[in-house]
Amino acid sequence: MHIMEGFLPPLWAAIWWIVALPFVIYGFVRLKQTIDENKDALPLLGICGALIFILSALKLPSVTGSCSHPTGTGLSAIVFGPFITAIIGFIVLLFQALFLAHGGLSTLGANTFSMAICGPFLGYYVYRALKDTKINIYITVFIAVALADLFTYVITALELALAVPAGEVGFIGLFITFLGVFAVTQIPLAILEGAVLALVFKYIVDIKPDIITKMKIFSEEQIHAARGKIQ
Amino acid sequence: MFAHDFLEEAAQNNALLQIHPHTKLFLGLGTIFLVLFAPHFLIPFIASLVLSITIVFIAKINLKFYLSLLSIPLGFATLSVLVVILLSKGQEPIWSWQVLSWLPLSISQESLNRGLLIFFRIMGGMSALFFISLTTPMTDLFGVMKQLKVPDLFIDLSMIIYRFIFIFIKKAHDIYLAQQMRMGYSKPKEAVKSYSMLFGSIFITSWDAGEQFINAMECRCYNGKYPKNVSYNPVEWRSLTPVILFLISIIISSMLASGYQG
Repeated sequence: MHIMEGFLPPLWAAIWWIVALPFVIYGFVRLKQTIDENKDALPLLGICGALIFILSALKLPSVTGSCSHPTGTGLSAIVFGPFITAIIGFIVLLFQALFLAHGGLSTLGANTFSMAICGPFLGYYVYRALKDTKINIYITVFIAVALADLFTYVITALELALAVPAGEVGFIGLFITFLGVFAVTQIPLAILEGAVLALVFKYIVDIKPDIITKMKIFSEEQIHAARGKIQ
Repeated sequence: MFAHDFLEEAAQNNALLQIHPHTKLFLGLGTIFLVLFAPHFLIPFIASLVLSITIVFIAKINLKFYLSLLSIPLGFATLSVLVVILLSKGQEPIWSWQVLSWLPLSISQESLNRGLLIFFRIMGGMSALFFISLTTPMTDLFGVMKQLKVPDLFIDLSMIIYRFIFIFIKKAHDIYLAQQMRMGYSKPKEAVKSYSMLFGSIFITSWDAGEQFINAMECRCYNGKYPKNVSYNPVEWRSLTPVILFLISIIISSMLASGYQG
């Protein structure tokens, strides 16, 4: 869910830029360290960025009747960690603004904060918390991705509500209204995105599990357990 | 599924391609910035109109294509603006309705003005954004980033992402057509399954592509940096003057409008 160009007043646009920039800059420093250690990582990261872009450009099978599309940052957070996702997400959001007219430039700070920072961070820590438990790895992916998506949408509603002077309903009322207006598309979308990415994960586990062990996403035993269950 | 037409394709063929990117960015970014500070909704409305005319008649972008692009932000804008009009505060309500105990709806002159202002600010900002994306190809933007001393790593990463977006779109499209021929999207459940397979196989092929890409680059003595060649036609006063006049007129009208209101 992107905030359109021009929705935020100048003050809030600036505030969200200031909030988002430290994460993006720290992400960039981390990225530089990763590349300095191993310059082979650059193309892989680039490809992951392109993949996030594609995922968000593909419309999901429309259940709610609206053109809903996933954020795609959940998968990147699980594979590369939240800081690198912040910088990749930032670039992807810039491209989305320029290529697809999703979002905007003055609202890029706010969109980065909700979509490339808050969502991935939550998703990543949920994944970390569930990773070594007995829970099936597909369910872990599903929960992490769906929660990341939901959290992104909550933060976006917060950003929208903060930007408008509230009347009688107060800030909380406005926040709940924004949540309610977009819940129709966002909640099914979060569940759908979780399910789709869990299935994608299953597909990767079935066909090329070495990617997952190489990136230390799940251990080999966990993958064996998961594969065993299918067969 | 691929409903979003790529603006990039239009950008590579627009009539303003030869104009220096600084001039175009100055117009686009300047409008985005100034429109945010406009006190009255007429200013972003007129700015949006002027930019749309520029896009359609001077940059020669297909009118139908442009209108279909403008309809994308409309849905979001309408929903959010409705919330703003009905819920934000105002002095004298013209109309009010207590739907639920915690949800009073009211429309006042102030909230109506605010809603209109936000709506047209979105339209103004979006047309400025469309102006940039429809007249300035990404490659020119990379050149400008380079001139602005943006870190090389950032530009390289953006360029790789940019390159692979087009490769993957093609691949995704091929797979999608193949799946559709095999009734892959006939039922919602099938659709979810097909979509996951599509995305999963792109992930795997792209991972392989990435590893091959590393080898190919290494064969060509890649040392972590792309060389970039930046050269443009000179900045022309003929195009820069109207841009400056337009931006100054936005500033003056904003100042006049805020003086009139205050």
